[in-house]
Amino acid sequence: MPAPVGVILADDLDPADARDIARLVPDTPSPYHGLNPLTKAVIATVGSIGAFAAGGYIGPIGLNLVMLLLAFRAGVLGQLVRISLLLTTPIAVSVVLVSVFTRAGRTVLFEIGPFDATVEGVDFAAQTLVRLFAISLSIGLFVMTTHPRAFVIDLERRGVSPRVAFVAVATIEAVPALVERAGIIGESQRARGLDTEGSLRARLRGLLPLIGPVIIGTLTDVEERSLALESRAFSRPGRRHLLWAMPDAPWERVLRWVLLAGLAATAIARVSGRI
Amino acid sequence: MSWGRFDTRTIVLIPIAIAINIVLGQTVFAALKVPIYLDSVGTILVGVLAGPIPGLVTGLLANLIWTYVLPAPFHNDYAAAFAIVAAEIGFVSGVLAQVGWFRGRPNTEPTRLVVGAVVVAAVLLAIGYYGFLPFYTDGTFSFFNPDVTADPFFTIVGYVIAIGIVAAIVGLVALLFVRRDLGVAYVAIGGLGCGILSALISAPISAVAFGGVTGSGTDLLVAAFQQAGSDLQTAVIQQGLLSDPIDKTIEFFIAFVILQTLSRRFVARFPQGEKAIGLEGA
Repeated sequence: MPAPVGVILADDLDPADARDIARLVPDTPSPYHGLNPLTKAVIATVGSIGAFAAGGYIGPIGLNLVMLLLAFRAGVLGQLVRISLLLTTPIAVSVVLVSVFTRAGRTVLFEIGPFDATVEGVDFAAQTLVRLFAISLSIGLFVMTTHPRAFVIDLERRGVSPRVAFVAVATIEAVPALVERAGIIGESQRARGLDTEGSLRARLRGLLPLIGPVIIGTLTDVEERSLALESRAFSRPGRRHLLWAMPDAPWERVLRWVLLAGLAATAIARVSGRI
Repeated sequence: MSWGRFDTRTIVLIPIAIAINIVLGQTVFAALKVPIYLDSVGTILVGVLAGPIPGLVTGLLANLIWTYVLPAPFHNDYAAAFAIVAAEIGFVSGVLAQVGWFRGRPNTEPTRLVVGAVVVAAVLLAIGYYGFLPFYTDGTFSFFNPDVTADPFFTIVGYVIAIGIVAAIVGLVALLFVRRDLGVAYVAIGGLGCGILSALISAPISAVAFGGVTGSGTDLLVAAFQQAGSDLQTAVIQQGLLSDPIDKTIEFFIAFVILQTLSRRFVARFPQGEKAIGLEGA
């Protein structure tokens, strides 16, 4: 059977297995989704580091536009803008309040009580904001268009230790598991009369009987899990044979190096005071 | 000095530790407007149980995974920028555990407890006096910069900070004597030291990349220090020197309590477990 579009399957699979494994491969609803995960990771990193390597307004705003354009091509524009606003707004509010009103400056725009809003403060806040949005959009676009598993497997194919790959994939599962465990323990402690909804003091006192069992219980699982892994040859030396991989076109490799070189050039130009 | 080892048990511990970091950190970040982070308890545990290098790797991976791998709602756009700080925390806690600073020392004689209390208080005052006050008082011992007419609001914040520092000293000393455990003094001093180091490393990152602002409770402090006359860099360092030592002391203490609670058999199976809780001779 033919491999699904945009994925390389290992060549020694029999057709039935190939069908099963093809189902593990994440969907690529747009060409941008179909890029190699490392390419998207480089775009995200260059976008976010580039935003403050360039400084000022033009560079970061340009990066914002590029990310929005890419998101539009990937069909995630609305979602990305929504999440980016959601994540960045609390920080943005702080940036504006802290910089506009408390940053020392000469030109006073207006006063609210004892606080002077200065032109320097507004300028600084605006520069920080475009930078924060560039970071948020770059990283957000990557997370939205890349399946974490595809990224980790691609890194393993490139020689990252399988143990690091295990840590990354296991974390994706450990976080919701921990939250779920906390929920269960919270309910059972409530059943025993723990007050988790009263006054602030009551809630603070309820924190320890909640956090304690969650952490201790989770740590105790380490025993079982490591035995289970050991019995499946986890510490065996050598590399794993990966059954599928994301394709990596030659032009993507060139693009990655060009982007990184561009980032380095921007950083050098900034440090040497040329921009 | 051993750097630690990555056995299977440690590798299994790391994702769980990262999950503990992220869940605690995200809760504090999102739900509480207090100027601490609480996002390194897991990293500290790995450093303590497995050694400095596993601690370092856990810190690094935790923040990178937090930004690049975890999907919403636990995703954080900015954690990766501070990966180096997390790595430092894991490394320092690994080294400190190896020299025995995380060991419980129950039933210490009162005289030694007094010495411990005095040392803790001295370190706290030294941070306040040498690290903190000079940054915005030009070395003169006054709580606010006299050259700038600060609003009464910030004077109040100043008093709250002062009360906080005193409360930290009183709380630590109380813990020391109630538990009669000199280990608390070691943990407190280790936490304070680690906090100072973290503040010095994270302040430039925070100031350059994020304008000193992270959207959490620490922003109020940055604002207060700027209003009191500091420039941004200084304000961020002041905020860090206030938040980080308190934060790391609390986190070290949580890790210390967890270590005491876990069964010795369990702890001893990790590469550095016996050293961490002092079982080698037993």
